Amino acid sequence: MIELRAVSKTVTSGTEPLTILHPLTTTIARGQFVAIVGPSGSGKSTLLGLLAGLDAPTSGSVVIDGIDITALGEDALAKLRGEKIGFVFQFFHLIPSLTAHENVAVPMEIMGAPNPAARARSLLQEVGLTDRAHHYPSQLSGGEQQRVALARALANDPPIVLADEPTGNLDTKNGRHIMDLLRSIHLARNTTLILVTHDQELAAMADRRISLLDGRVV
Amino acid sequence: MFIIRMAARETRASWRRLLFFFICIAVGVAAIVAMRSVIQTVRQVFGTEARSLIAADVLISTNRDWTPEARSTIERRLQEFGATEQTETVETPTMVRPADDTREVARMSELRAVDKAFPLYGTLTLQGGQTYAHAMLRDRGVLVRPELLTALGVAVGDQITIGKAAFTIRGVITDEPGRRIGDFSLGPRVLIDTADLPATGLLTFGSRARHVLSVRVPDPQIDPLVQTLRSDFKEEFVNARSYRSSDDEVGRDFDRAENYLSMVGLIIVILGGIAVSSVTRVFVLQKMHSIAVLKCTGATSGQIMAIYMLQVMVLGLAGSILGVGLARLAIASIPYFVDTTSTSLLSDIHYGITLSAAAQGIGIGVLVSLLFSVVPLLRVRAVKPSLLLRDESAAPAGIDWTRIAALLLVTAGLVAVTAWQAASLKVGLIVCAGFGVLAIVLMLAGRLLVRAVSPLASTPSFPLRHAVLHLSRPGNQTRVILLAVGLGAFFIVGVRGLQSSLLQEFSTEMTADAPDMFLMDVQRGQVDGVRAFLSEPSRGAGAFRLIPVLRARITGVAGRDTQLETFEDVRARGSLAREYTVTYRDRLEANETISAGRLWQGSATDPEVSIEESIHDRFAINLGDTVRFDILGRKIEARVTSIRRVDWKDSRNGGFMFVFRPGVLDNAPQMFISPLKGPDGPDARARFQHDLVAQFPNVSVIDFHEILATIQDVMSKVTLAISVVGGLVLFSGALILIGAVAMTKFQRVYEAAVFKTLGANTRTIARMLLFEYGVLGLLAGTVGSLGAVALTWGVSRYALDIPWRLFWMEHVGGIVATAVLVAAIGVLSSLDVLRNKPLLTLRAE
Repeated sequence: MIELRAVSKTVTSGTEPLTILHPLTTTIARGQFVAIVGPSGSGKSTLLGLLAGLDAPTSGSVVIDGIDITALGEDALAKLRGEKIGFVFQFFHLIPSLTAHENVAVPMEIMGAPNPAARARSLLQEVGLTDRAHHYPSQLSGGEQQRVALARALANDPPIVLADEPTGNLDTKNGRHIMDLLRSIHLARNTTLILVTHDQELAAMADRRISLLDGRVV
Repeated sequence: MFIIRMAARETRASWRRLLFFFICIAVGVAAIVAMRSVIQTVRQVFGTEARSLIAADVLISTNRDWTPEARSTIERRLQEFGATEQTETVETPTMVRPADDTREVARMSELRAVDKAFPLYGTLTLQGGQTYAHAMLRDRGVLVRPELLTALGVAVGDQITIGKAAFTIRGVITDEPGRRIGDFSLGPRVLIDTADLPATGLLTFGSRARHVLSVRVPDPQIDPLVQTLRSDFKEEFVNARSYRSSDDEVGRDFDRAENYLSMVGLIIVILGGIAVSSVTRVFVLQKMHSIAVLKCTGATSGQIMAIYMLQVMVLGLAGSILGVGLARLAIASIPYFVDTTSTSLLSDIHYGITLSAAAQGIGIGVLVSLLFSVVPLLRVRAVKPSLLLRDESAAPAGIDWTRIAALLLVTAGLVAVTAWQAASLKVGLIVCAGFGVLAIVLMLAGRLLVRAVSPLASTPSFPLRHAVLHLSRPGNQTRVILLAVGLGAFFIVGVRGLQSSLLQEFSTEMTADAPDMFLMDVQRGQVDGVRAFLSEPSRGAGAFRLIPVLRARITGVAGRDTQLETFEDVRARGSLAREYTVTYRDRLEANETISAGRLWQGSATDPEVSIEESIHDRFAINLGDTVRFDILGRKIEARVTSIRRVDWKDSRNGGFMFVFRPGVLDNAPQMFISPLKGPDGPDARARFQHDLVAQFPNVSVIDFHEILATIQDVMSKVTLAISVVGGLVLFSGALILIGAVAMTKFQRVYEAAVFKTLGANTRTIARMLLFEYGVLGLLAGTVGSLGAVALTWGVSRYALDIPWRLFWMEHVGGIVATAVLVAAIGVLSSLDVLRNKPLLTLRAE
């Protein structure tokens, strides 16, 4: 369960303080599929960053499974992300110097999980990329890269998966493929899936929608 | 485990990009290992042969005749300490000519007269497998160095005249015990029997003969004997030393040489380190996304830094090992450069890499790589994982104490490494401080330049405008390139400047009318004869003067700032204790001016002396002080009444440290010297020397033409050696330059693609690059050249003691060459930027 307690974010742009996200209180239950929607600059990505502890809120706190992550140090946060959260990004963000297989294995190696190689193989199989395991990101198409990223997000079997415009950089066919994978994973593993998108069609599939406009829920 | 695995994968992916870093380290390490190995090897040979190098356990020597008292003291002590064997030799420079008077040549040589017991240690080796025996010298036999045969055009079996006597050449010396490599010599060695020495008539009064007593004593008695003799002769001009002290001396020279040379290697490694630092910085910048991803998937900053640190260490180690390999190759090639037909010790040595040199090289390579990568790697901590959601550059918050602490630690580490290499904390600090100052100067210069050229940013020329903007763009390589290339230019231009300065120093002395020959040891009774000889027009000699000279030692000083009671006190002042050649006259030479006091007029019975400015500066001897001289046994206390400045550039007419007022020394035993303009042409000069020596056998002639040739030969070798080192530095600089260009290429490729899309053609972009690197090279060259000006000034003034000259051509040439080199490398290593099709690049982004 993720609880947001009056979380806000203000940055100083030039000399003027600029509030990207106004205080927001909400709870996301385990296994829920939440879509965060809104136009560009409405604060979607900021909210996602705060949920994952990638960024610190200006005020308020984020509590994941009873742990106040805003009180954690950088290293503890890293550990928490490694164990509980899987990420999928719009621009894939695979490590270019590693093969697909290695990219998937990295989170498990960091956590010291047993037998990461075998599990990486089965995850790649799950996203249908067994034959591309030893290719480098630059040798893969956008859709394939995103599937590797998805496999990587699932590496440590996290209870929460965060996806930032996962189809934003893909054509319709590949976008649909990724969405189908995400949904089937969400259903099969009962993961909490939080999706940032401005695609209304995708948002319609979610259990719940949080619509943002200029940093406020509408 | 994760760290090792990641480091291995990363190295696999990025070793090509880090190749430059790797080569820079390798070159520096190779320099250190090669230099240390060679010196250690040579030193070992010296160490094992120290006894045969001075050919005795103890050497007792004097530049004057033995006094009977001194001899009896020595004899008594030798018995006391159980000396088992001794041999006496007399060495003096003298002229040698063929006995056949139709051969009109004469050559300055170093005569050594030996007795039956010579040599105590080592063997005298002769050409053609002959074995040396003293009998070969008996009855006017002589052994000579091969150079003399060529110089005089004689062969074994011919007769040569030494002084007043004729000798038969019985063999050719290839190696002689008791002679050190690099000893300065006035001419080739000539060996005769002591018994024949009187016949030559060379041991007249005032000759420059050195008497040496070589002694063999039981080992434990060596040091006590030397100590006792030293205290016996505290107040006399007799020296005693053991082979050990000579070993120590040689050892100290070697230590100094080894440490000095390895400093040069270290400078190259540090340059490599600067490259490491810049490469690491750009590397981290390029890896920002990967670092963020790793952080997102749970890795801590510490783990990520460990990954890159491990990578740096592996590459540093590999580079160092490659460096040792390079050193091995360099050393293996030495025999091709050392003239193996020469008989010097250097050619007999089996060169190889010593273990300690290799270990030091590798240690330094790894250490420097680590030290220089720590600070840039700290940036890993600042990479925020939220970067993946939004491309933002986080503003650094406040003072980063960790970074400052790391900087301090790294500085301390560098000082430690330098001090270790120089074997002196002081030198380590000085070198590091020097480096720091140079780096700061280069950086300030860089900033100034960027500011100076910034008005160009509004020039209508598109390529020039953008070139200038590039110099100050974020993440620019201006500083690193300035530092690396500026240092290279500094070394090379500095060395070339010094070399020209030295060559000019000698050639100014060779102007048309200046004296180019020098007569020595003219006896008082010969003055009229020599004058008549030189005035005879058929001899072809030009202007000449005969100057009386006496040899004097300072045995005490009573002055305001300096109080030296005994000769021992004077000895403690280093070169003040050496033997000075003094003269007397009552006028200044053309190259002299009085800087304090007044020069006397006429003669007086009260001793007065005029000292040269450097004596005043170095030993704090002032006007009004009294200096006590020992002039061939006579004690003279002279008051300092003037201080002279001598223009040493024009010193042929007299560069005397001490000039006395006439009156006191006029009737003292004295010799005459004569600077003169010799005849033109080598044949005429040879005939002139021959005829002079035939008439006055004890007179020595120094022909500056011959000396100049020798000096030029030595200079060209020294210059080559320094140029090689400077070249290595420049090579590292070029590598760093290429590396820096390659590292920032990703930025450039993208920009070029955008420019092309916007309508810029390849030529415009090429011009842009050319301007950018040209300006950068110009600056690096300027800074290096300015540094070189300072270097030549300092070295000329303090180390070489020659007037400082500025060589515009060298400095301007250096600036231009650097600019061209940097521009060429910059454009060439960006060629693919020019060739890339823009669409491809933009798509990839």
